[in-house]
Amino acid sequence: MRPLWQIPRDCLFWLLVSVVISIGLHLEHLPPWVALSGIIAALWQIQLYRERWRQPGRLLKWSLAGACAGGLFLHYGRMNGLEPMVALLFTGYVLKLLEIHHRRDALVLLYLSYLIIILQSLFSSTIVSSLLVLAALLPVTAALVAMHGAAEPSRPTTALRTALAITLQAIPLMLVMFIVMPRLGSLWAVPQQNSGTTGVSDSMSPGDMTKLGRSGKIAFRVEFDGPMPEQSQLYWRGLVFSGFDGRRWDQQAPWGYNDGRFLQWSNQPLQPWDKVIKRRGEPLSYRVTLEATKSPWLFALSTPLAPSPTIALSRDFRLVNKSPVNGKLQYSVKSWLDNQLEPESLPGWRHKLELALPAGYNPKTIEIAKQWRQQTPDTGALINRLLRLFNQEFIYTLRPPALGKHTVDEFLWGTKKGFCEFYASSFVFFMRAAGVPARVVVGYQGGERHPTENYLLVHQYDAHAWAEVWLEGRGWLRVDPTAAVAPERIEMSFAELFSEQDDFLSASPFALERMRHIQWLNTLRLKLDSLDYAWAKWVLGYENMQNDFLMGLLGSINPQRIAVFLLLAGAIALLPIFIMLYLSREKNTRDQLDRLFLQYCARLEKMGLPRQAGEGARDYAQRISLQAPSLAGPVEQLTGLYESARYAGEQESEVLLFKAALKVFKPSTKDLPKKLNGSIAGR
Amino acid sequence: MNKGWRQAINNRYQQWIERRLPPLKKVRLDNRKLFIFPTRVGFFYFVLLILLWLIATNFENNLVFGFTFLLASIFVIGVFHTFLNLSGLQIEGGKATPGFAGDTAEFEYLLSQTGKRSRYSIEFSHPGVDPIVESLVGREIKAVYLSVPVTKRGWFQAQRITVRSVYPLGLLKAWTYLQFDTAALVYPKAIDAPLPPQATAGLGDKPPPQNYMAHNSGSEDFVGLEKYRLGESLRHIAWKQYAREQGLQTKHYADAIDDELWLDWGALSGMDKEARLSRLCAWALRLSETSQTYGLRLPGLELAPGTGRAHRDTVLRELALFEQPKVAGKLL
Repeated sequence: MRPLWQIPRDCLFWLLVSVVISIGLHLEHLPPWVALSGIIAALWQIQLYRERWRQPGRLLKWSLAGACAGGLFLHYGRMNGLEPMVALLFTGYVLKLLEIHHRRDALVLLYLSYLIIILQSLFSSTIVSSLLVLAALLPVTAALVAMHGAAEPSRPTTALRTALAITLQAIPLMLVMFIVMPRLGSLWAVPQQNSGTTGVSDSMSPGDMTKLGRSGKIAFRVEFDGPMPEQSQLYWRGLVFSGFDGRRWDQQAPWGYNDGRFLQWSNQPLQPWDKVIKRRGEPLSYRVTLEATKSPWLFALSTPLAPSPTIALSRDFRLVNKSPVNGKLQYSVKSWLDNQLEPESLPGWRHKLELALPAGYNPKTIEIAKQWRQQTPDTGALINRLLRLFNQEFIYTLRPPALGKHTVDEFLWGTKKGFCEFYASSFVFFMRAAGVPARVVVGYQGGERHPTENYLLVHQYDAHAWAEVWLEGRGWLRVDPTAAVAPERIEMSFAELFSEQDDFLSASPFALERMRHIQWLNTLRLKLDSLDYAWAKWVLGYENMQNDFLMGLLGSINPQRIAVFLLLAGAIALLPIFIMLYLSREKNTRDQLDRLFLQYCARLEKMGLPRQAGEGARDYAQRISLQAPSLAGPVEQLTGLYESARYAGEQESEVLLFKAALKVFKPSTKDLPKKLNGSIAGR
Repeated sequence: MNKGWRQAINNRYQQWIERRLPPLKKVRLDNRKLFIFPTRVGFFYFVLLILLWLIATNFENNLVFGFTFLLASIFVIGVFHTFLNLSGLQIEGGKATPGFAGDTAEFEYLLSQTGKRSRYSIEFSHPGVDPIVESLVGREIKAVYLSVPVTKRGWFQAQRITVRSVYPLGLLKAWTYLQFDTAALVYPKAIDAPLPPQATAGLGDKPPPQNYMAHNSGSEDFVGLEKYRLGESLRHIAWKQYAREQGLQTKHYADAIDDELWLDWGALSGMDKEARLSRLCAWALRLSETSQTYGLRLPGLELAPGTGRAHRDTVLRELALFEQPKVAGKLL
């Protein structure tokens, strides 16, 4: 039997380092036993290398593979989806570690390491994790170098140094490719990361929003093209709830509507319901960078349009993404703040939808609402009367008392303490009971203006719920009952208002947001955020910027300019390596010797003693000795040195000798005999 | 058909290589002499890049794009590193150590450089020989020895050697073919047999008795003059005749008791040419390990008995070049 290939020691070292690093990177979303088996396999391989343990048998290996596949299936309950697939890849990778028989096996492992380490970017896209991935690629490259490197056993650091040099030299070229290479967009549907959604959910029951109030995470950032509107204008609509089952509000989409399709894509013909939107005046343009929500709802001011083929306008006038937002998403929006939605009379089915109430819930509210309606027939006055009630008797708190079956009854006529969703829910219920079409809107309100950069930060704790009521001739109007109870909630940012309350951000006790009263920490937090935003804008969402950026860079985008740019930028990117090439170039001693000899001839020529065509060095020297005997000594010596350098195979040391001698050879006209001197002077 | 095409393409390639890389004494590798191409490992690296690009495109993930581009750039940078590992290296054909037919002859190649960059994992190979991997650290001079199997006695011209390196990433190979003007002498294959009996003189064979053994012109009884042949002792040259312008002649003496052995071609009649040479070669080798003096007689050549290493080499040389070109064909 042919002896099996032995992996070089330093290669194995870096390979195991890469395995351990990839386990570390993926630790968060791998089943713990997969990570553990990775460590065991690495130890086994070390013992194999030291010839302490034996190769696992075929039976053991196959049963291990079977056990891993079964374990993964039990753990995830399915095999489609990103996480199970990465875990499956990972177990294969770990098991492969036990059978490095050939060079090929080690290469497969190295390529898998590259793949698995880079796949981490699908799970986390922060600056820190990207730098970690970048660093994690180094040991893999080092292993590749070690595998093809010096034949004699060398220290692992040698390979790492080479890998580091190559990686650093590659980075400028990578940037050029990143800037120029076109992004094609998804070619086919791929499994996405599946785990709990964050941010507002697609239904609302009492207490849902308190969860968000405790989170200091960023929901999205907004950059306006013009000046920012007033804080009280910033109602970021996300979801519209028209259905209520007594406890939970949810959407009616798409089965509740029947005039055309529910979603209007920008590249499709206008739906019949588009005409109910009256847009007036100039729109407000802005760009939203949304953090991953794992749901398709986008946030925008009323009433929006997004010029993107993957974003639709829904029948209830909000934006919906084609697929759940699994990473940061950047989108541009135009919003007409001055608008009327369904101002003409609502058709019967719309009336029914927006007035529907579950039977058997909140009888007291229904009764009182009917009473009030008789007392105040004008809808506007009715709304104001309810808001006045809120303003006078209700308290805004993040820790409301628990509610029983008749949530609205108990809240309106009993506890009278709550926060936005309590007010929105009971307000809409009351209005519907009084015969006014109304619905609940959920999204975010306000945001924090970045003091130095021109953008707005909207946090999870800015999540908000409010109401929309429909008035004949006016269409849908936004009414925020919370503003009636706690107007400062709308005027100030939520954080400014509640930072003193214990419950605020209780889910993240060390969040920098909690320290916003400490000046320098607050500055640090905002600085970090602007870095994070730049990262999101220029790296994670670069495809949105690519066109404008290349336009700005090249003037216009056409193949010639792109080609010229690629050549130039590529040349600049390769500059470091050309410099290296130049510095380490082999000195061509023959060329150097010729150049030096020409210098020598030029110096003599200046004296009026030019070398004749075809005259050899030796003949030249003899002629000079005759014409200018005072120069005979140095010329003789130089010619000797030149000849020995030439005929000693252009040895560098010989050439250097000639060079040194030439340096002190400074003939001047004083050395010339009178006659010759005179002839020069006469010229 | 297919084979014919391949043969034709291969021939054209060989001709092109001949023209592009003519035989040399000493060569300094540069961009005109080096070829560079992805290895099989490198092609699989492309597969990895395509896979990563597909993932990046489908997940619309710019970070994966970035890292894919980084790996692609590493490949591009690798081209320079692989090239630089060989470029500037000087290789000189050194001496060739003779060998026996059926065994190997050893060729020496000297590595040097004028720069001081270290070069790693350079593979030297000659057709039919396992490659030798060598590194050159700094300005040292290093010798690489390739033991090339030889089958036929006579001069053996070293073929093109391949100098190849995949350092540092293994994704690309840089290589060149070098033809040096060095030839090794190949001695006949030594096929041993018992040494012949001491004295076999006067067997009455025709033409005139030639015994492979014993007898030489001792110093007692003068027999006559013969034309001087290369390798004969100068002591026996008939200087008087030379002064009379009768050419170089040697005096031959008969001697009854002689401790000098003759390795005689003629005594091995009945064997074919190569077998005779092999036998003589084996005997020469065996005798050279003793203090016995021995001479060699081949048709048209007689080497006076002698002893020692130099004598052995002369004998072996004559055996190697018997009815073969006396000088190696010059390539330069």
